[in-house]
Amino acid sequence: MSDEMENKNSSPYPLSPIPYTLRSMFVRSFFIQAGWNYERSQNVGFAFALLPALRRVYGNTERYYAALLRHLELFNTQPYMAGFILGNVAKMEEKLAGAVSTTENEAEIRTLTGVKQALAQSFAAIGDRIFWGRLKPMTVQVCLIVWTLGGFYGWLFTSCQETPSLWLILAGPLSGAAAYSAFAVYWRWKGMQSGFECGGASNCGLEDLNWSRFIRRLSVAGFIFSLLIALVALGLFIAFNYTRLSGSELALRLGLLAGVLAAHRVARRLGRSVFFVIGLTLSVSLFLFWALKLKPFDFYL
Amino acid sequence: MILIFKALISSSLAGLLELDTVQAGQFLLSRPALVGPLLGALNGCVLEGARLGILIELIYIDFIPVGGVVPPNGAVAAAVGVLAHSWAGLVPALAFFTGLFAGGLYSFVEYRLRSSRSRCNNVIEAEVKAGRERLNYWVAGAMLGESAAVSLYVFLFSGMVFLTGRFFRLEALTPAMNLAYSLMPWLGLSGLYFRFRAQMYKRS
Repeated sequence: MSDEMENKNSSPYPLSPIPYTLRSMFVRSFFIQAGWNYERSQNVGFAFALLPALRRVYGNTERYYAALLRHLELFNTQPYMAGFILGNVAKMEEKLAGAVSTTENEAEIRTLTGVKQALAQSFAAIGDRIFWGRLKPMTVQVCLIVWTLGGFYGWLFTSCQETPSLWLILAGPLSGAAAYSAFAVYWRWKGMQSGFECGGASNCGLEDLNWSRFIRRLSVAGFIFSLLIALVALGLFIAFNYTRLSGSELALRLGLLAGVLAAHRVARRLGRSVFFVIGLTLSVSLFLFWALKLKPFDFYL
Repeated sequence: MILIFKALISSSLAGLLELDTVQAGQFLLSRPALVGPLLGALNGCVLEGARLGILIELIYIDFIPVGGVVPPNGAVAAAVGVLAHSWAGLVPALAFFTGLFAGGLYSFVEYRLRSSRSRCNNVIEAEVKAGRERLNYWVAGAMLGESAAVSLYVFLFSGMVFLTGRFFRLEALTPAMNLAYSLMPWLGLSGLYFRFRAQMYKRS
């Protein structure tokens, strides 16, 4: 194979002026997690997304299959940030296709593998914090805000039977999802372009944004929204019950509420999941109504 | 009969939407806050669907799918919750906890699916070595398998809940479930608060 390779002193089909290949890779990058498996994580999805570039630079040659095998090895990163690595690897494969000797070829392969794995880890850490850790919970906040502004409080009062319009109900989750997806798609595409432009550099894309400052700002914004929503919820709870209940009844309900929140806090401290608190709440409820034969009552409304 | 037909359609829709969680896109179309009202609208219980959906989402906010961790499945939980209410006739509170349990249990199925796909790696490699590349086929197969597994799981789980409701007097649980259910929004809000509070102190 080395002799055959040495005859190819440049890629027959250079990628650079062909935005079509990048666009095709971009569309395929939406399937990067298809076939996720424990042995090699996103390997199948990554190879699938990279196919247009490999076909372009190698054609249907032996080296095409060798390159494909290289990318069927372990790979795992944050799906929205995978564009950075895909673009980068596409560019490096283009350089690799132009390697003039076996030594140069082996060196390029080593660089490619190293850069790919290093970037995968870096972008996984950044992407997980931004998308899973902050933006996704923020879409829930957007949903709650839209519903509350639209006058739908059914998410807070479980016995409330007032049915709002389907449009309002759908507007909540869709508005958050639309904003989130627009941002995610932007970074998928921008990442691919950025990765392709600086292909081969191990810090490629890591300086496109001040990621840590961005993450910090998202945390602050998320925290402020969380507090705001909690305060609004508490205000609604008191407003709905203030005229209907005596002081002691209201205090009893506030006490129950505080009990659940305290249980959650303690559970988190002990490293227990939210399921532990749910189990505890269910057990106490069953004890009250089954063992103590408490009379059923309407808790909120 | 119409209810079974609706349950079948709902299960298939849940299977289709669930692809968005991992396999394709990740546009948040499979989040329970959306799956709940959509299936609720299909089954004539929009309000309960929306409520189940957002509460499941708030409760599951504690779980993040990093590093191959399989968190409870929100789409499955919302779909089972809605069908437990509309098909099996459970009160919303009981349907919610049933959905929550079903979503948590599905992570074991997901784990099995991911493990079974590991075995495909050798086959794919052998194909490529032999000069055959069928990645489109493998990607489509993985998506089809995942979607079918979710649809089947949602339908069978809801069917079991339906049968359980026929043979046991689950109404006896209603008062206790209602009390616990009424506390869930607060538990969810607490989860939302702690999620960001922890990040504030962690320093990115």
